[in-house]
Amino acid sequence: MANAISVKSVSFTYRTEDGESRSTKALDGISIEVESGSYCAILGPNGSGKSTLAKIIDILELPDEGQVCVLGVNATNEEEFYRIRENCAYVFQNPDNQIVGTIVEEDVAFGPENLGIKLPELRERVDEALKYVGLYDLRKREAAALSGGQKQKLAIAGALAMQPKVLILDESTAMLDPVSRDEFLDLVEKMNREKGITVLTITHDMNEAARCEKIFVVEHGQVTMSGTPAQIFSHPDVIKKAGLELPPDISLVYEIAKLSESQVAEDDIKDRESRIKAAVRFAESAKDIPEAPVHDLREKKRKIMEISDLSFSYDNKKTYALEHINLDVYEGEILAVVGKSGCGKTTFISHLNGIVKPQSGSVKLFSRDGNIYTTSKKKDIAEIRKNVGLVFQYPEYQLFEETVEKDIAYGLLCQSKEQENLKARVKEAATMSGLDVETLEKSPFELSGGQKRRAALAGVLIMKPQVLVLDEPAAGLDPKGRADMFEIICALRDSGTTIILVSHNMDEAARYADRIFCIKEGKAVAEGAAEELFESNERARGYGLSMPILYDFADMVKKELLRKHPEISLMPPFPDPAKEASSIVRSVLHAE
Amino acid sequence: MLNNISLGRYVDTGSVLHKTDPRVKVILYLVYLIAVFVVNSPVALLALFILTGIQLITAKIPLDVTWSTLKPVLPLALFIFILNALTIKQGDVLFTWRFITITDVGTTRAVLMALRLVFLILSTSVLLTLTTTPLKIADALESLLSPLKVFNVPVHEAAMMMSIALRFIPTLIEETDKIMKAQESRGANYDTGSFLSRLRGYITVLIPLFVSSFKRAEDLAVAMDARCYRGGSNRTKLNPLKITGRDIAVFILFLTGAAILIGIQVFFGN
Repeated sequence: MANAISVKSVSFTYRTEDGESRSTKALDGISIEVESGSYCAILGPNGSGKSTLAKIIDILELPDEGQVCVLGVNATNEEEFYRIRENCAYVFQNPDNQIVGTIVEEDVAFGPENLGIKLPELRERVDEALKYVGLYDLRKREAAALSGGQKQKLAIAGALAMQPKVLILDESTAMLDPVSRDEFLDLVEKMNREKGITVLTITHDMNEAARCEKIFVVEHGQVTMSGTPAQIFSHPDVIKKAGLELPPDISLVYEIAKLSESQVAEDDIKDRESRIKAAVRFAESAKDIPEAPVHDLREKKRKIMEISDLSFSYDNKKTYALEHINLDVYEGEILAVVGKSGCGKTTFISHLNGIVKPQSGSVKLFSRDGNIYTTSKKKDIAEIRKNVGLVFQYPEYQLFEETVEKDIAYGLLCQSKEQENLKARVKEAATMSGLDVETLEKSPFELSGGQKRRAALAGVLIMKPQVLVLDEPAAGLDPKGRADMFEIICALRDSGTTIILVSHNMDEAARYADRIFCIKEGKAVAEGAAEELFESNERARGYGLSMPILYDFADMVKKELLRKHPEISLMPPFPDPAKEASSIVRSVLHAE
Repeated sequence: MLNNISLGRYVDTGSVLHKTDPRVKVILYLVYLIAVFVVNSPVALLALFILTGIQLITAKIPLDVTWSTLKPVLPLALFIFILNALTIKQGDVLFTWRFITITDVGTTRAVLMALRLVFLILSTSVLLTLTTTPLKIADALESLLSPLKVFNVPVHEAAMMMSIALRFIPTLIEETDKIMKAQESRGANYDTGSFLSRLRGYITVLIPLFVSSFKRAEDLAVAMDARCYRGGSNRTKLNPLKITGRDIAVFILFLTGAAILIGIQVFFGN
């Protein structure tokens, strides 16, 4: 089949504002070919040049060297650039920054209007695109009032109305919750299947990549590996070295294979059925009984926060964002707060340090020094803010000082102008959040995305809070960045900080949290260990949650094992692939 | 905390006024703008009140929306009222206490000034922002100002800039709210403490807001490029402006209203 996209030895270097080239090349002689009608993914760590490559393909940047040919058009002059952009639609990461029209249908029309499409065809295209993505009923709404998932669907509709042949998704699902993400991907796959649109997606989500036909791994501005997902994921070492990770289900297959000293072949991981079969086969061929895995259960210590009968309404008690919430938080635990988008999680955590005052009920902090503070009392607020640190989603937006050092120190200086050992405390906070000491002198706006996130975290850690509340701390980071962030969080917990964590990623919530608290439509519906909440698909769905991918896959492997060996007894799932592998292999070997 | 402000927001009720051609509304708005500043007799004010009421009813704007539109400007209206009442010393003295002297002329003028502000906001809202999407306002201005293209005035570009600025108001309000909460968590102070510490509190919000707005502007420019935006030439419109009989009727009706208003003013005014 013909190539939709062909990039040949392209190099590109970003320029500084003075027009000088930066020292490192964003793209360094990169070549890729994408078949017409295929569905491909580009993977790579942050700063590897993935987005630059996508922009080069859509001629939003021009290569310094090399050739770009899209749909048979060579990008050599301005008219051709427009022909390529006409046929190549682009959906960006941040839904808000790509909506031009105030009203949903006006935004969808923006592209075709630019192409000079006349009425009535224009109206037909807009209506058809809106119906296709399922936003037709909302066509007269204000675009800003849509949810994140709806905004990304709107972006797709805007793209679709231009009737493109190629669709480029630049981390388009990074800001979506799992349900919206699945809906979005289903839609994209439908477009690929039904309309034959070539899809090129840049992503940090390995599960998303596993759904594609072909993957390109980009590092340092070059393609270092390409192939089918099975080919790519059959090189776990290379994947890890590139700062990526295996999807949880494939990871479990590898862990079981390791215990049975077997080799995983490409065919073993090519689709879900083969993965289940391979996992079962490896488990059956294991001979040595592995060590029994244990749940790291933490004993409940002293109660540090108490939320009782908390209710909150944004619209004068017509509807409730939070309704009679009760929760105790124990010192030194990681508590995950989970639930669908818009269930009230953010409103809930905003109550924890008194940013939002309870309309009824109370939030109490039992401080280490024996004092009890409540957020309803004005005189307690300063103490509460000092002891309950709150880090919102994408906290890098809160940086404002001239240097990182000053920014980190800001919160402390707000408490009192005179601080002993200020420099030492800044350093300590920076180290805790994994920030290099050299960056302290820099302007926060020069830092990379991951560094900014850490600087913002350090700005809260400097107050040495007893409780740290984090809203999606790993959102938008690449797999290595996510893993690093959770390492920092676990280290904080181990040093005695109590962590309350909002998460959309159920695998991470199950893996890192000691306890999970679930909110559905403003009400507390469940509280307990991951293996209880995710005991079955039905139960999880009842709470409005999706199952962790690992649990879901492990469950299918176990069902298959039970079918073949009805005599074995199985343990509840573990959130860690290695432990789950041991648990499965032990049960097959009848180890008590 | 900033979400309940509807100043500058569009509220779709599907009324006649919503469907009226935005150019008609822009012209009517200019007429009423002049009227608001010309009117000073109580009878004419009453007429203006009735006319604005009719506009609100025609536009089917619910009372709570009207109220939330007015709410943010009421402190300013009160301030104008107090300032005028205290500073104007002409006319008969109604009340005096130490250095405070209130006169009848002062009071009338104060009421008038405060009401003008209220009517100004109401007219702007009911004729433009509440009933007309920003994109339509921009369309109307583009169309009305298009003769200026002859003099190389970039009318389309200016209209586009305006509509984008309006489109981002809710987004920026949301963002401001988010940044304010984040900085407040770190100890920033907006409403207590010395003037300097409050100012410093606002700086912690403004700088990140500017930085992110620049980032948004950059992103949006790339996104517009990707969607083949090349300026005004050859662009078509999903909802092109068309004057219908209904538009003419609305125009004549409210223009007559304005004429009667001016008539009353001339007759009763001094």
